[in-house]
Amino acid sequence: MDKPSCLSCRHFRNSPRYLERVYKGLSSLSSAYASVRKDDGICLERDLYLSASACCERYAARKPTS
Amino acid sequence: MVKNVMVEEDEEALRSMGWREIWLKEDWWAIWLGLGIVVVAYLFFANGSSIKWIAITPGKWSTLDQLLGDFRSHISQYVAQFIMWLVVLSLSMRIMGHKIGELIPSFVFIYLISIAIFMIGAWEQAHQYNLEPPLVALLLGMLISNLIGLPRWMDTGFRVEYYIKVGIVLLGATLPFTLVIWAGPVAIFQASIVSIATFLVIFLIGRRFHLDRRLCATLGAGGAVCGVSGAIAIAGAVGAKKEHAPIAITMVIGWAIVMIFFLPLVSRALQLPTGVAGAWIGTSEFADAAGFAAAQAYGNLAGHVPGIEGTADQAVWAFTLMKVVGRDIWIGIWAFVLAIVATTRWETETGSKPQAAEIWWRFPKFVIGFALASILVTLVTSGYSFEDFNKIVKPEFVGPVKALRTWAFIFCFFSIGLTTRFRELASATGKPFWAFTVGVGFNVALGFILSALVFGTYWASLAH
Repeated sequence: MDKPSCLSCRHFRNSPRYLERVYKGLSSLSSAYASVRKDDGICLERDLYLSASACCERYAARKPTS
Repeated sequence: MVKNVMVEEDEEALRSMGWREIWLKEDWWAIWLGLGIVVVAYLFFANGSSIKWIAITPGKWSTLDQLLGDFRSHISQYVAQFIMWLVVLSLSMRIMGHKIGELIPSFVFIYLISIAIFMIGAWEQAHQYNLEPPLVALLLGMLISNLIGLPRWMDTGFRVEYYIKVGIVLLGATLPFTLVIWAGPVAIFQASIVSIATFLVIFLIGRRFHLDRRLCATLGAGGAVCGVSGAIAIAGAVGAKKEHAPIAITMVIGWAIVMIFFLPLVSRALQLPTGVAGAWIGTSEFADAAGFAAAQAYGNLAGHVPGIEGTADQAVWAFTLMKVVGRDIWIGIWAFVLAIVATTRWETETGSKPQAAEIWWRFPKFVIGFALASILVTLVTSGYSFEDFNKIVKPEFVGPVKALRTWAFIFCFFSIGLTTRFRELASATGKPFWAFTVGVGFNVALGFILSALVFGTYWASLAH
């Protein structure tokens, strides 16, 4: 199993569709589907925009989906 | 508020992107699509044929009868080209997770309006009235999105970055690789001076205003490296606050739109050679898409406006060398270095240790496609004399690729306008505005000095 990181945290959102909806104007001169974004996303718990490999003490694993 | 936004598609993002980006990111699809077109064009050419039938563009016209007659006689070619674009875009965008039901009507709209924009640009008097297709596409798009408004789902087809990246890969096929080797180092040198200096100006002024270091870095990357893409990459690398990126997005979009008109206008007033103007735009515009609109608009004036020396290609080539080779490809290094600074000096709690692999994962991969297209075409055409190149290779091979590139650029410029909804952008006033704006002024001045004065002769004679 992967070590805990934002990627598997339930507070973290990084799908391109979500980011383009939340960050208005992102798709005007860039794209959430661009390589430069890597898989960065938004932490809803700490209100940060950070790397998916980050982690903190407020990590909470996502419930597995069926 | 963010929590209320639907998040069902986030489940798809549970796994790390890694090499899955080969089929999930626009950069890679731009390579597959762009290189695919170049290879197919070459195969046709090598077998004594050409793709020029499907790479149709409106011919020059001076009367309405001429225009309609030309369109009627080529309508089957436009239909075939539309189907070609729709098939490749649908396939690639479906795999990336877009909805085809949204893409099709949206792309029909883009293609029909793009034909009209192309036709306006093909009018004999267009240059006299400044009706340059990039500027017309942009303005028309902004008028539609800000005054009339379109359903949000149509944004699925307005993929600014995807179109510009496909266009840049196709551009590689028309740019001799020898020129990249010859002019690349100068572009990198000039762009590095301006990028580092502009970043420091924005960052230090921001700090002087007591702005958060992460916001200063995000704004600095937006103004100095590669616009919104630079800002978003650095925001992630330094663990910026959620509201920092939208501020940078607003600043970049606002100033990029201003510069699309300002830089060509001043270049025209000063009668700068197209190569010099292209280098200046490449140094001082913020985003690839916006810069190509400005460079192409100015390049189109060559040969039509007295006093402007050079060719349309020189403007686009100089811009590409400066922006893509000189600035874009370094974003991974900027992100890596700033991530180290953020975790070691700023005591930012990102909770992750910066890794050198960051440089590769954030690398704008479409540049690989651009280089491969340039190498491929340079190799296969190296055996032709200058005369044969112009007589055979240009009309049958390179010309049609260039025509398809122009279509991709028009889709892009129109999409910029359609997705730029000013009332939706985050508020960016006060200190962030002034920190960024001083950086813009500094960048434009330094970019002009280097492009027109220090390296002026060099850029004016590009590819002579």
